[in-house]
Amino acid sequence: MEALIRPEIGLMFWTIVCFSLLVLLLSKTAWQPLMQAVEERERAIKHDRRSAETARAEAEKIKSELDAKLAELKAEIGRRMDEARISAEKEKDLLIEEARKSAGIIVESSRREIEAQKTEAARDLRSKVAELTIMAAEHILMKQLDHRANTDLASRYLAELEKERPELKLDN
Amino acid sequence: MDLKLILEHHIVDKIWTWVAFGPLRLPVSKHLLMMGITSLILLVVFPLLIRSRSGALAPFRAMIEMTVLFLRDEVVLPNLGHKGAAYTGYFSTLFFFILIMNLLGLVPYGASATGNLAVTAGLALTTFALINFSGIKEQGLIGYFAHLVPKGVPLWLYPLMFPIEVMGMFIKTFALCIRLFANMIAGHIVILVFICFIFIFGAFGTAFGLLAAPISVGLVLFTLLLELLVAFLQAYIFVTLTAIFTGAAMHPH
Repeated sequence: MEALIRPEIGLMFWTIVCFSLLVLLLSKTAWQPLMQAVEERERAIKHDRRSAETARAEAEKIKSELDAKLAELKAEIGRRMDEARISAEKEKDLLIEEARKSAGIIVESSRREIEAQKTEAARDLRSKVAELTIMAAEHILMKQLDHRANTDLASRYLAELEKERPELKLDN
Repeated sequence: MDLKLILEHHIVDKIWTWVAFGPLRLPVSKHLLMMGITSLILLVVFPLLIRSRSGALAPFRAMIEMTVLFLRDEVVLPNLGHKGAAYTGYFSTLFFFILIMNLLGLVPYGASATGNLAVTAGLALTTFALINFSGIKEQGLIGYFAHLVPKGVPLWLYPLMFPIEVMGMFIKTFALCIRLFANMIAGHIVILVFICFIFIFGAFGTAFGLLAAPISVGLVLFTLLLELLVAFLQAYIFVTLTAIFTGAAMHPH
């Protein structure tokens, strides 16, 4: 049982040789490629991260630029709209004014025309009425012409005339 | 049956033959075989796993990678500072070497090479060498020994403190060696004792033995799971303490 706690120098020697050789060999065959792969990956990750960060910053810059541009455009659109509204208002007022004016002119001229037509029509009518009256009277007179009555009438008339105006009295 | 014999059979290293190497008599034993298997796994399987691009092996690759990165970021760099990255390979090797040797003790017909005092002593000596090597490399030979005594100690205490610190260096190493050894051996002993309970109770009567068997097997399973945890934990503790000692040697303040 004392073999358990009596170190065997030969085995100690084996251990030291074995371990030293392992350290030397493994550093070349195992740990070097492993660390290389790890470092490569860490570098790749770092690189990816950095590029992602720059891309993000870029995107943020572009976004802010676009936002600014958008705000600018919005303001521009608002301004344009206001301008257009004002000019449209003006245009509308102008058109209404013009329309009102031209309507007044038309109304005036029509009234005048109507007036002219009316007077002409009235004149026409009057002359026509006069003509018709005269013609009618002519006809009537033609029908009622009676020599004796006319003579009586004429003589009565003459007598009256003589009475009124003695200077005109016939001296015969 | 003799419990001592059973324990010896299962825990003590079996030396098959001796090889002469100069003045040294080197044993060829079961624990050496386990260490060889561990080395083979580390030398063949690990590089293949790391270099393979196959999707089926990706989880294993990821496990190795995560462990190494954990050791680098949580153990090596906080203790050794930014210069410590170069030592990541050493600590990774140490961790996997101890871990696989621990785990081989849980495999049928396997044995824990780390449950052998010589093996843990060898590992502790490499740590001892690393501590002094890194300290001298970082601060220079004179600077290292000058900074061995912590700052703020009055000058007249130096003759006392210096030997204490030097002793401390050895004691740290010794504690490292004993800690790993004891932790690995303890689990095995407990499992063996639980199994022996069955036969001890069986000696009173067959009914006692049959009653004790399920309880013992349950406890053995529990202890095995505990040993699995301890295998990882002790590998981590060994590596972490090595990193702390090395860091202290590199940066005395």
